[in-house]
Amino acid sequence: MISVADLLVDDRIPGNYFATDAYVRGDLEMGLLENRQGGRLLALPETLLQGIYSGLDKETGQAARLVLFNCGRWWGKNFYARFCEDLTDYYRTPLADMDMVEFMHCLKQCWITHGWGKIDLDQTYQHRGFLVINIWNSPFARLALPQSQPVCFLEAGILSSFFSQLTGRDLHCIQTTCESMGADCNRFILGLAKRVEPAETMVTNLDHDAIMQQLCHH
Amino acid sequence: MHSQIETIFDEAENRYLRTEELNVLSQYVDSLPERMETYRMIRDRELDIMQKVADQLQVEMAQETVEALERSIKNALLALRYCAIGALLNDEKFVQDRLLSWLEQRMHVYSTEAIDTALYQLLNQELRQVLGIRYMRYLSPMLTLVETALFKHPPMTASANGR
Repeated sequence: MISVADLLVDDRIPGNYFATDAYVRGDLEMGLLENRQGGRLLALPETLLQGIYSGLDKETGQAARLVLFNCGRWWGKNFYARFCEDLTDYYRTPLADMDMVEFMHCLKQCWITHGWGKIDLDQTYQHRGFLVINIWNSPFARLALPQSQPVCFLEAGILSSFFSQLTGRDLHCIQTTCESMGADCNRFILGLAKRVEPAETMVTNLDHDAIMQQLCHH
Repeated sequence: MHSQIETIFDEAENRYLRTEELNVLSQYVDSLPERMETYRMIRDRELDIMQKVADQLQVEMAQETVEALERSIKNALLALRYCAIGALLNDEKFVQDRLLSWLEQRMHVYSTEAIDTALYQLLNQELRQVLGIRYMRYLSPMLTLVETALFKHPPMTASANGR
């Protein structure tokens, strides 16, 4: 028989840790933003993001993509550690005991609450060794300098290191569609570097589905 | 209603409150002792109520796995706690913001609609017995909110798209 008392952990039923109004707290007098565990949050003004983009473009030109990607990887590494720590603290279960659905559910809510848009996982190609991530309403895409190819290198970096740590495999990430180019969402392909890399040259002339077809036949 | 009361206070420097605005406030204040009693009853009988629901649910849904049933019961416990606060504050928005999109997505992901339908029927029955009409009227609007979100709409996308 199910015992309801046993379902409670320390009399708690953990809910939505990243619920926006509960998660983000501000102290007007101190000018601080904090999350619900007292961790500092940083607000990135649009002007700063635009400044970073145009500064990098001026200083490093073509290399800006790589710089952003690597910054993203660094960010993603720390973000993963903090995200896992927050979840373990709040749900009081080791990460290994949390199922993937719950984990992704939290990640989605976390993404929204941090103002990075809406993220979703597309597992259509999982059996072929690829994960597809879709992101809608990305501020990083909206504020980037227009280019003839997808611009979310920062997010690609974040996703590659986040999912590398999650899966324990070294994953690369390439963006195939971009809101900055009029696409409905930003699509990212994640997979082992040598399998995903061929997509890099396809991005400028093939659409997402065609790229996936090609990758799967490689 | 709670947010309606909050907006009343925003007008302080512009004008005195109209009679109907004061009525909103006094209705809430008048209902507060009963709202607190509702909250107390749910708080003190939570395990009782949910255990009865769980026992009956296991009989009605014998074909479902214990894991699935437990998941739904946990979600219902969470919902009941939020609804209890919602009833105390008379604030549907609180339930909406903190709970609904979360629950909807979970139900959608795990497809527990059949279990949840049975569960909420049992829960309503049990709560009506424990609270009676007098106190149930404070909780009902909150529970209805949850049920409407869970059973009548596709999973929330538009309002949770990250903007």
